[in-house]
Amino acid sequence: MTQFLQACMNGLLTGALYALIGMGLALIFGVMRIVNFAHGAFLMVGMYVTFLLFDRLKINPYLGFIGAGIFLFAFGYLVYKLLIQPIRDRSDFMQILMTTGIALILVDSAQLTFGADYRQTNIALINSAAHFGPFTLNSASLLSFAIAAVFIIGLREFVVRSRTGQALRAIAQNRDVAPLMGINVIRIQGISFALGIAFAGIAGGLLLPALYLFPSVGEDYTLKAFVIVVLGGMGSIEGAAIGGLALGVAESLTSTYIGNQWALAIDFVLFLLMLSLKPSGIFGSQRA
Amino acid sequence: MRFAKLIGVIFSAAAFLFLFGCQKDSARNVRVGVITSLTGSQAAFGEAHRNGYAIALDEINSKGGVLGKKLELDTYDDQSKPEQAVQGVSKLVDQDRVPVLLGSYSSESTKAIIPAVNQRQVPLIIPTATADNVMDSKSPWIFRICAGANDYAHATLDFLKANGAPKKIAIVYENTNFGQANRRSMEAAAKEAGMEVVAIESYEAKSPDYKPVLQRVKQANPDVIYLCSYLLDAGTLMRQAQEIDLNPKYYTSAGTGFAAAEFPTAKGAGKNAEYTFSVSQWLPAVQWEGSKQFDAEYFKRFNSHPAYHAIQAYAALLVAADAINKAGSLDSGKIRDSIKVLDLPSTPFGPVHFDANGQNQHPVLITQVQGGEYKIVFPQSAADSKPIIPAPHWSERK
Amino acid sequence: MRDPRVRKIVLFLAALAVCELPAPLVDNNYILQVLFRIALFAALGLAWNLVGGYAGQLSLGHVAFFGLGAYGLAILAAHSVPVWIAVLLAALLATLVAAVIGKIVFRLRGPYFTLATIACGEVLRLTATNLTITNGAIGLTMPAVFTGPWVWKFYYVSAVALATVCFLVNFWTANSRFGFYLMAIREDEDTASAVGVDTANYKLRSLLLSAFLTGLGGALYGSAFQFIVPDSVLNIDVSIQMAIIAMLGGAGTLLGPIVGAVLLLSTSEIFKTQFQESHLLIYGVLIVLVVLFLPEGIVGSLEQRLRHRRNVIQKPATAAPAVSAPEKGR
Repeated sequence: MTQFLQACMNGLLTGALYALIGMGLALIFGVMRIVNFAHGAFLMVGMYVTFLLFDRLKINPYLGFIGAGIFLFAFGYLVYKLLIQPIRDRSDFMQILMTTGIALILVDSAQLTFGADYRQTNIALINSAAHFGPFTLNSASLLSFAIAAVFIIGLREFVVRSRTGQALRAIAQNRDVAPLMGINVIRIQGISFALGIAFAGIAGGLLLPALYLFPSVGEDYTLKAFVIVVLGGMGSIEGAAIGGLALGVAESLTSTYIGNQWALAIDFVLFLLMLSLKPSGIFGSQRA
Repeated sequence: MRFAKLIGVIFSAAAFLFLFGCQKDSARNVRVGVITSLTGSQAAFGEAHRNGYAIALDEINSKGGVLGKKLELDTYDDQSKPEQAVQGVSKLVDQDRVPVLLGSYSSESTKAIIPAVNQRQVPLIIPTATADNVMDSKSPWIFRICAGANDYAHATLDFLKANGAPKKIAIVYENTNFGQANRRSMEAAAKEAGMEVVAIESYEAKSPDYKPVLQRVKQANPDVIYLCSYLLDAGTLMRQAQEIDLNPKYYTSAGTGFAAAEFPTAKGAGKNAEYTFSVSQWLPAVQWEGSKQFDAEYFKRFNSHPAYHAIQAYAALLVAADAINKAGSLDSGKIRDSIKVLDLPSTPFGPVHFDANGQNQHPVLITQVQGGEYKIVFPQSAADSKPIIPAPHWSERK
Repeated sequence: MRDPRVRKIVLFLAALAVCELPAPLVDNNYILQVLFRIALFAALGLAWNLVGGYAGQLSLGHVAFFGLGAYGLAILAAHSVPVWIAVLLAALLATLVAAVIGKIVFRLRGPYFTLATIACGEVLRLTATNLTITNGAIGLTMPAVFTGPWVWKFYYVSAVALATVCFLVNFWTANSRFGFYLMAIREDEDTASAVGVDTANYKLRSLLLSAFLTGLGGALYGSAFQFIVPDSVLNIDVSIQMAIIAMLGGAGTLLGPIVGAVLLLSTSEIFKTQFQESHLLIYGVLIVLVVLFLPEGIVGSLEQRLRHRRNVIQKPATAAPAVSAPEKGR
């Protein structure tokens, strides 16, 4: 039982970061219907920004991630304006093609700029653990969990309360009517895209101390992000958060009881099961 | 239409470059073919290769090159994919007519190119591929500089036998070619040596949480853990071993991640790296002449310390140049013959001499991290320190 | 008399003859290898086109069939099945698995469908990495389909032959009732279903056909390069490459995948030898440019323009019809 609970807790700690990644994609893909195959590449950019802040300016990654978030918001908006907006009404597949191209450019640019070398930040916090009775939790993971929780709640509040958030939900509900209500769809879509990318960057920054860094580090996370969005239900920001946590727990339990080599496979099996049995996701109600 | 035009322009420009590129083959320089992974999942190691080759190249050319001509590298990127490596053999041999090949980086790419190399009858010098199926072909054209996974397993077991002879071993390996090859070697060798393999756990590399894997190992209560970890996962593994208080008497490992220059330093696993044993093919501190100079030169150029991949590439190019010089011609057959009998008693990578199967009898060292540095503890002849056994419990470490 | 048809056949045979020319003329194995890859990926793009182009089902899981073809051949041949029979059986295995995958994924639409196909491919890759019969990540040596000094000539010819078969299947599809049903599904699945098209059935049939051809391609590719690991023949990159080839050339056109394969593979090889590690960057820029400026793919966009011009010349009075989607070639 202890083992089970410990595995669940470890899963939740990782899952919070998955939740951030997933919520970012939920904004872009779930709400704005842009199929973003470069999500992981943007996460990688966030990691490099955080790493540079750490390496050059000695800024702790748990602060530096904010820089990554801001940078990626601006960068995401630029990418949207230059490359996504012109094709926003094209087929899903054109978007897939475009974002695959963007991902290739980002990954190879990172390699040309920073080299293919593996890099890591080794901060003291990552080596300390907190003990709660029979359970042990990594302090850095706890901190990143707390930060992630703030951003998860913050994003949800933003979507529910702010004017931009309301416009965003209006577009999600009906893309054809929203412009008639005086909503500037392009502007809102640009902001959502940038915000989604910023969340990928934040997640990257928080992931950095626990992981290490190389140009293609983001690849696995693109697919994971889609799995999370589908698990949580398209178009649902809260759903993506829950989906991320659930995925973290599922992976942790799989590697505890079956073996870590199947943990990735469980992502996809869950995904296929979910799509076949309950395509609206855990929380989704609307579905295109 | 303007973009049809644009594409036309790109195309013709590229075609021009392509043809132009083929033309630059000149009689002035001697070209050696290199296949490595400049892009893709193994790009970091491809970079180490390239750096090692670059140092060797400058060194050879500053000493007058080969056959009185300048030596030049003809590099093909296999994108970390075996079939691309095969295509590389074709490009370098059929198109560019290089007399000798070096590469590739990974075991799978290297294994894949062996039939192609054999057919073309060109000598191949393998710098880094450790999986043992690479040498299965027994081809007279294949030479390997590095020691293999079997050598790793046997060296580790010899060391254990001489130092306390523990009984129970657990193997933790990453689920890739490297990990699986080393697991197989160790599993077979450990059973042969009469040890009990109490747990075999694999993990998916590049993830942030290995605690479940280590927890399963902990339950099996092994005396020894043999870790086959390619990348910086070594740091994560040790950190999380500390977190779950996993206390075997020996942490042993199959090199790479555990033998990287950063691993015992603050930039790597830091204090968690202490007391871990690793097999190693080379260290800057090793006694072979020139190794410290290589380390210094590498640091000067690339601002980081080399791992053994770089010096294996370096040694491979030295071997190629020496063989060409001794063959006195660019005929592949003659170069092959001179590699066969080649005897370099002193290189920064130690003595190089190939056995009948084309394998360089490179000694495998066992190192232990002590005080933030790699110390050589085995074999006795090369050792500079005594091993610390058992590794203290995590709770007793400072 | 019967002019257009005869002309088409003559044109086709002439084109085929030109495609086969390198086999006797080129002795450089490297060039033959590059040409082999181009022809093979043209075949794969055409096979993908059946599902992705005509039926409009944007699969990114075709690597599953490709990998099954390669692994099927390796495993069957290791159990002493004669090589050509093993190739056929491997392709049938891919078809069989396609039937299962189709049952799962065809219930989904749009991006869900695409994602589900990716998941299927990834599950196969992870399975191959963890099983003993596939020798895990260490990989399998492939049996040689051809031997002797002229292997690459043979491989090239057989890749062209496969591409030809794929082309003919595409041609037949474009002009048959089957193809019209597929295109109806692409334009509007609900309407197609409402007017009595058995959409599930036709989608599945296109997938089975496509999977069989892709499986053959995988077997041939694996055999040509002699050694396979899950990360090479079950890598999602292969799926993406198939799709990009078809989309760049023009999905749902006959010539599109061929043009796409020639353009993409030759440039990537040239870029690689010229620009070393920056070749992926240039490749990415190329993709972005094509998406921005040639949205229907190269052949698709050219066709549209031609059609537009013809319409303007022939019927200056009526405006050119708005072409919403690319149609069959010629």
